[in-house]
Amino acid sequence: MPHVVRSAVLNAPTDAVWNVLRDFNGYNRWHPAIATSAIERAQASDKIGCVRRLRLQDGSELREQLLALSDLEQTCSYCLLDTPIPLFNYVAHVRLLPVTDGNRTFWHWEARFTTRPEDVRPMTEMISEQIFRAGFDAVREHLSEAA
Amino acid sequence: MARVYVSTVVNARNDRVWARVRDFNGMPNWHPAIAESRIEGGEPADKIGCVRDFRLRNGDRIREKLLGLSDYDMFCTYSILESPMGVENYVATLRLTPVTDGDQTFLEWTAEFDCAPEREVELVGNIGGGVFQGGFDALKRAFGG
Repeated sequence: MPHVVRSAVLNAPTDAVWNVLRDFNGYNRWHPAIATSAIERAQASDKIGCVRRLRLQDGSELREQLLALSDLEQTCSYCLLDTPIPLFNYVAHVRLLPVTDGNRTFWHWEARFTTRPEDVRPMTEMISEQIFRAGFDAVREHLSEAA
Repeated sequence: MARVYVSTVVNARNDRVWARVRDFNGMPNWHPAIAESRIEGGEPADKIGCVRDFRLRNGDRIREKLLGLSDYDMFCTYSILESPMGVENYVATLRLTPVTDGDQTFLEWTAEFDCAPEREVELVGNIGGGVFQGGFDALKRAFGG
């Protein structure tokens, strides 16, 4: 099963980064790939099991379900329900850890999924670069604008 | 139970940092507070259960037992058997995680222990700010940041 892991250090305390990441309905405010986000059935975005409907910049739509959220551990897990691209059994985990030396944040983002053999490489590349790495950069920028 | 958590980022790939810290008998090679170390009974330093007997630069002697070591997950867990510090049930873990964004390493050093309540603040400060952060500072110097 393909496993994508990316991690980064952000020059901000974990509480500031978590404040951005914990809103399951707020990724459109910082992630460049996402145009709009809405939670189905008017549920709260921190209700476990809620589903977000994301419209990407290219017009495609996907649905993701919140599996776990912890303010104590500063972790979040979610899975893909529907997507126009060949990603199956996709489950992702976000985890923040404090870098006490400098009051910074270590951000760990990983996902496992299945796909057709010929799609393993392009899907891995896409998740790693366009979702995870682009997400790190976007949150860095988002935080510096907010500061 | 008192808890210490100290973490840092070192400017080198995790395999290079791990090569430096995985040797349970090698702390004098990188930690400025440790003067000398030996493994009791001539056992290999990566044999789980082995005991290191080391001497600090201030003359204190500490005996610690290796509880867990993983080259795959890059962590090392050990307990204190004997020390002049006044701690009981002391278990510590040093863990390395790659920072893929920039080829750096995230290091966490944690400890849990029991002690007299009036000494907790002092011990947490000495272990976290002194021993653990002192080791991190030395690693950062060794790897240029």
